[in-house]
Parts: sequence; C-alpha cells; structure tokens
Amino acid sequence: MAENKNIEKISGNNKVIINGQLQTDADLSQYNYLNLGPTHPATHGIFQNVLKMDGEVIIEAQPTIGYIHRAFEKLAEHRPFYQVTPITDRMNYCSSPINNIGWYLTVEKLIGVEMPKRVDYMRVVIMELARIADHIVCNSVIAVDTGALTGFLYVFQWREKIYEIYEEICGARLTTNIGRIGGFERDFTPAVIDRINDLVKHLPKALKEFEKMVMRNRIFMDRTIKVGGISAERALAYGFTGPNLRAAGVDYDVRVMTPYCSYEDFAFDIPVGTQGDTYDRFCVREEEMWQSLRIIEQAMKNMPDGNYFADVPEFYLPPKEDVYNTMEGLIWHFKIVMVK
Amino acid sequence: MDNKVDNALIESLVQEQFPDAIRGIEEHYGMLDIITRRENSVEILQWLKEHSLLQFNFLTSLCGMHFPDNAGEELSVVYHLHSFSNNVRIRVHIFFPINDPVVRSITHIWPAANWMERETFDFFGIKFTGHPDLRTILNMDNLGYHPLLKQYPLEDGTRTDKEDKYFGR
Repeated sequence: MAENKNIEKISGNNKVIINGQLQTDADLSQYNYLNLGPTHPATHGIFQNVLKMDGEVIIEAQPTIGYIHRAFEKLAEHRPFYQVTPITDRMNYCSSPINNIGWYLTVEKLIGVEMPKRVDYMRVVIMELARIADHIVCNSVIAVDTGALTGFLYVFQWREKIYEIYEEICGARLTTNIGRIGGFERDFTPAVIDRINDLVKHLPKALKEFEKMVMRNRIFMDRTIKVGGISAERALAYGFTGPNLRAAGVDYDVRVMTPYCSYEDFAFDIPVGTQGDTYDRFCVREEEMWQSLRIIEQAMKNMPDGNYFADVPEFYLPPKEDVYNTMEGLIWHFKIVMVK
Repeated sequence: MDNKVDNALIESLVQEQFPDAIRGIEEHYGMLDIITRRENSVEILQWLKEHSLLQFNFLTSLCGMHFPDNAGEELSVVYHLHSFSNNVRIRVHIFFPINDPVVRSITHIWPAANWMERETFDFFGIKFTGHPDLRTILNMDNLGYHPLLKQYPLEDGTRTDKEDKYFGR
C-alpha cells in the first residue's frame, strides 16, 4: 500500500485504519484483474482466463474453455453407426485412430461380435502408432513452449512417417476414419508392413536424440519441474485419466486393468510418475512411446494369420465383386448403404 | 482379495443398504445399472464412494439424457463410477420431470463433477443445487436454450440452401 497520511497502521497487529475506519480484508484487497487470452493453447477454439492477481500471484482464475462444442451427440442421433466414425476422428485429431477404434469396439460390443485375432493385432499396431504420434505432439510442443524448437523438428518428421503409414492403410492422414465396424477394409499391404518395420527400426534413434536434447536440459528442467504439480488424490478427485493420472503416481492403465483388443497378449511396462508435475507428465509420455514401440514390435512379430474382418454382414460392407455378382452381397450392400 | 467384488455382491449390498431407494437394478453388457430417485442419489453415490469394500473412488462421467416420450420422467442424469481398487464400473441413473429439472450437485463428493454438471446444465437445462458456479461452459451465456434437448433439430429449420434430396435424406 502506498504511503498515505490517512492510513495508520497499528503495529504488531494487522489492523489497518483509514480515515478513522477499521478496514476489513475485503476493503484492503488490492487485486488486479488481468484478461489472459483468448489464446489457442492446443486444439482449435479459444481459451480465455480472467485472472485475479495479487501482484504476480494468481489468486483465482475464471476460465472460458472456448465455444467449441460441435454437437457430436446431436449429429450421432441422426446417423447410422458407420457414419459416426468420421465424427470420432475429430474428438482428438492427434490420435484419430484410437477414437475410431474405440468407437468400433463399442459398436462391436453392442452387436455382440467377436473379432478375429488378426484384427485385434492390426488395431493394436495402429493404436500404438497413434499413441506415439500423439505423445510426439505433446512432448515436442512442451519443449517448444519452454523455449526449444529444434527437438520439435527432430521428432515431427516421425509423426509425418506415422501419417504415411495411416495413408497407406486407409488413404487419409489426419482424420483417418481408419478400418471399419467389423475389421478392416483391406489387409496390411507389404508397403504398410515395410513402413511400420522401418519406423520401429529408426524412430528409437530420433527419440534418443530428442531425449538427449531435452530431458536433462537445465533450462527445460527448471521450467517444468515443480510446475503444475498435482497430487494423486487430487488427480483422482478431478477425474484425471491416462498419462496425466499416471504422472501423479496412480498406476492405472486401462490396457492392463481391463484389456481390450488382445492387449493381454503383449508385454509392456507402465511408467508412473511421483510428483505429478509437468516434468513427470513429460517423462511418462516419453517412456510410453518406448513401450508403444515394444508393443508394435511384438504385434508385428506375432501377427496371427486369418481374416482381417469378422463375419458381420449387417455392418461390414461386402467386397465389390460380391455386390455385383451375388444376390446376397447386393442385399447386404443395399441394407447398409440405402436403408436407415 | 478373498471377497471379490462382482455385480451380484454390489447389487446385494446396495439393496441391503437402501431397500426403499432403489427403483431397479439392471445389468447391461456386464455393467450394473442402479436406477434410483433424485432424492436418494447423492446419499447413494456418497455411500458407494465411501464404502470400505466397494470404493467407487472415480467419477468417470456424468451426463444428461432426454426422453421426450417418457411422460413425467423426461430427463435423466447418469453417473458412471469406477472403483480402481476392484476394477469395477457401475452406472447410477435418476429420472425426473422436465418441468422440474432440479438435481442436487455432487461437486462436494467429486470435484470432477463441477464442469460435468455445468455441461449438463448448459445442454439439458438441468439445474444442480449446491453447485458452486453453475454457468454455461461450452455455449455462449446468452444462448437462451439448451440445445441437446430433443425438440431442437439438428439443423436450422429456416435455412433454404440445404435441400434434403441433395443429402440423401
């Protein structure tokens, strides 16, 4: 408080008197309000914070998380199952395939159909590729945000390679719509297998380089350790999931606790943090990429023979030659595409 | 653990604790679904969280639903709970009339419910009493309606540039 002759402080006691009036805490508040943003921190849509500041310390923040609702629920009310898949792409476009496959697993559970083992393994490969692509974005961008652009460029070309694998599998790169309810529209081609093996062989070098640049970097550590720390109890109370929850020290991974898609067949470790701060979250994601590579390697090595789709003619489009040459194929095609 | 927590055990424990509050218990695709009344929902959720064996410590999801044909019970709130220690998930359902869309908040049990309840308020108009800050979250403040209620069409009915026949409808 600035020098003011009308203000008299009673020493040894926090009472303040201004113009003969005893002041309450509310009267004395010297808070500033600062409008931070709107900014674009990660996904599309704006993020605005109205901050209540005491000097440089934030006392309260009132976030507006962005007017980004795209009415997925409303859209899904009006669509057949297979037309919902492209909507799931948009839920997290850094890892669209995981959302696509999550949707397929839901529908397949609903219609009660068992997938061939080969489909499970192919899906695991794609999901783990997507996990790597997503973690590459998270981890390289936190490095950019803390002042290191180079590492970002090192690993981003590998995200590009993963997109090339998606492209080879399904024709799309970002919003993938990968696979179908009931399996895949086609098997992995030799080109896909080559690209995946190439990635598993060469990504570790880039990842090591990236870790060498960032992980023990003094500036990076100063800017992330003890920043944004969350305790395990708080993380659970606030509904954290995934790597953020594990970084807070909760050893929960749904792939292990409730294995889906044959995850029980693979050996992998679950990294867990201790502090729950930004650095722990970074390290958990970093280690998860290594574990994802392990899973992909195992899945590619042990890829079972068999069909790449299940026998669900009500949902899985018949091959084109069947549509043109068999009555049954034509009927199923008609029922899937024309009848709603 | 010798006392393995499965759906049958949860069902019997809940029935025993709340004999009058349970309207029905169903099981769909292996997940237990407890249907109760809004007068009892908070106590049941709190009990499920604090029960020494069940320990449903995690609120996975909370959302609204609208069944316009379900006269007198048009609106619903669903709570998805997850017990990490037992690795069991359950659902708790409540139904209530659309002209009295008031439910007690559970933000004091799980802070995670804060934003979820705001979203449910925003999109279904369900008011949560006891919520510390019940404002819209994803729609603008002055939207004036709750867009996920079934009476609102997918598209703006006044538009003339979108003819159904071009969209296969």
